[in-house]
Amino acid sequence: MPSLARHTLFIAVPLLALFAILPGVYNNHLLLFNFVIFLILAQGVNIIYGFTGYLPFGYVGFFGAGAYGFAIMVMHFQSPAPLAVVVAGLVGVALGLLLAPLLRLTGAYFAIANLAAALAVLHFVANPALESITKGPYGVALNGTFNPTMAYNGALIILALTLGIVVFLRNSSFGLALQAVREDAFSASMAGVNVLKMRMIAWLASALVAGFAGGVFAWYVSVFYPDNVFSADFSIFAIVFALFGGVATITGPIVGVVILYGIYNLIGFTTPQYFQLIYGLLIIGLVLFLPAGLVSLATRRGWYVP
Amino acid sequence: MLKRVIAAFAVGLALASQALAADAPSEIKIGTLYASSGRYASISMPVHSAIKLWVEQKNAEGGVYVKAFDKKIPIKLVAYDDQSNTATAATLYNQLVTQDKVDLLVADSGSVLTAPAVTIARDHKMFLFDQTGTGASFFSKDNPYIALMADPVSTIWPKPIADFLTKDGPALGIKKVAILYSTNEFTGTQATAVRKFIKEANAPIEIVYDQGVPTETTNYTVILNNIRAAQPDAVIHLGYAPNDIAFLRNVQDVGIKFNMLFCIYPGLETELLEKNVGAKGLQHVFTYVPPSEMDYPVNFGMKMADYRKAWDKKYPDGKIEFGFNAVAGYTTALVIEKTLSVATSLDQMELRRAVFSLSGNLKTLDGTFALDEMGGQVGELTPLGQLQLNDHGHIKFVAVYPHDVATGKPVYPKP
Repeated sequence: MPSLARHTLFIAVPLLALFAILPGVYNNHLLLFNFVIFLILAQGVNIIYGFTGYLPFGYVGFFGAGAYGFAIMVMHFQSPAPLAVVVAGLVGVALGLLLAPLLRLTGAYFAIANLAAALAVLHFVANPALESITKGPYGVALNGTFNPTMAYNGALIILALTLGIVVFLRNSSFGLALQAVREDAFSASMAGVNVLKMRMIAWLASALVAGFAGGVFAWYVSVFYPDNVFSADFSIFAIVFALFGGVATITGPIVGVVILYGIYNLIGFTTPQYFQLIYGLLIIGLVLFLPAGLVSLATRRGWYVP
Repeated sequence: MLKRVIAAFAVGLALASQALAADAPSEIKIGTLYASSGRYASISMPVHSAIKLWVEQKNAEGGVYVKAFDKKIPIKLVAYDDQSNTATAATLYNQLVTQDKVDLLVADSGSVLTAPAVTIARDHKMFLFDQTGTGASFFSKDNPYIALMADPVSTIWPKPIADFLTKDGPALGIKKVAILYSTNEFTGTQATAVRKFIKEANAPIEIVYDQGVPTETTNYTVILNNIRAAQPDAVIHLGYAPNDIAFLRNVQDVGIKFNMLFCIYPGLETELLEKNVGAKGLQHVFTYVPPSEMDYPVNFGMKMADYRKAWDKKYPDGKIEFGFNAVAGYTTALVIEKTLSVATSLDQMELRRAVFSLSGNLKTLDGTFALDEMGGQVGELTPLGQLQLNDHGHIKFVAVYPHDVATGKPVYPKP
């Protein structure tokens, strides 16, 4: 069986099936929804960081832009929610195009510029002068489209799409070329790889899934402020989860989200007073002993990690 | 025959009361969130600490009286730390409702952390005790599952400032007003309200400067010079506590003197502001007069002085400031206590009915609890006051508007 089919059948499908079944047995649906959102975002970070080496500290910019894309479609065009989610993804792509010049930067410079760009988008959306369009800093209330069950199903579809992209990247010459660009752009270019085009496609794919995620998030929560959907926590969590598991793999970010976000909630529900201590120690341990993520435990032994 | 009927009735009554007692839960679960860290910790911790104080006090007395079971029942406070993170807050609110199955749901402090609760409460048909989330978008005619406990809604809160400017201002010589506000829901909505009230009053007052700045702003030097250039008679600055601290420090550093200067937080978190700006920097600043300075007559709960004593006893290290938010948390607790004492069941709509039945009747140390039809708080208004130094160089409040609660005359222009 080709590895693409194998990865789809044994990783993507079981994960999606699990999250499709879980709402029937566990009724904190919002927790499950957040798991799905972070799975999407961590895989989104994986697409751009894992395969191209660009660390998007301002990844939440796409997410927030998607959420507001959804809100504007619903508020001003009375659009049905699924269409608004599609537009949310396109808003993410549009923002990705606008910020494409940032790809000229590398390393810390890109990370910082991306963070600044996300803040700029936040302040643009939260500008009181745009109150008639975005409701400015005063928050939106989308009562008409409120439907948590449909939003959850929408999130599952987006997760499927995101996993599809990552499975493709992991098993295609395109993904291999991207990793070559990440390792050494000059050599890759000498080998005939169109570096600019490759990076751009990965960047926009990453923006698309974050925009979609923002859209379904807006659909699910329905009342939010710019601070809610542009919170830097989304970027930080998505990056930490992806790194914890291990990037440039399909399973790494999944393992990262399941373990780290699982522990995050477990501590939050049981011993919130030790939250910072336990979570901080975990992350310090990761940085010190497993800088390449949990999957490196296997890859160090020469095992293949999908 | 009559004896038998009476005996049967007595047995029936005894059985019924036993059944009622058996149905009574061993504890009333109140679910809430707090932020021990992050940008909302400073407003969340005083509110949460106040609720904890109340729970401890009531449990020491054997619990709160619950009319639905006609007995006192201990309270169990189920509280999670959302760390000022809204996604975490959403998950935790859901946990309180779906897993912990709390009887009463209480939001965290402030609009941003209340926002996730509004949707979740409505979805699960739980009545939300909104402590200080004043966001106008929370309250609508089609959402019966919310009421604001302890702050006036942002759309009416600044009415005393606007009324003072438009009614007393012209006689004092106030003709030009500058409005500077942080662009967030809380202060942005207050700025909109001030603007609206001034325009509606048709008074000879002109708004010569009207500017929003990001909430993260920490340096106001250039902005101050721009405001000075507009030559206003009164400057209204609407920001969070860190904004007020930075703004008032910059006013001192630059050496600008405005004839009238209003800021929100010198009144709401006086201890914090005095620590960071100094008594001199607060002298003659206009602000909201907090309930701790008004000593409102109460018909339920502790009076301000007693509450302050209880607070100092429970939190003697002074790490959590006693201010407006500490009073807000206790007010929420009192509304809950009174609600349980009048609600005939713990059904969420019955709780709502009970909360609304208190409107206009419940008088706490925070003033008169009054709700509009959508659950917005329209009582507990804070008068306009001015900070002046007493003979010992300490800050004191002088209420200046409305006149019926005024304790002195405003010093205008600032000497």
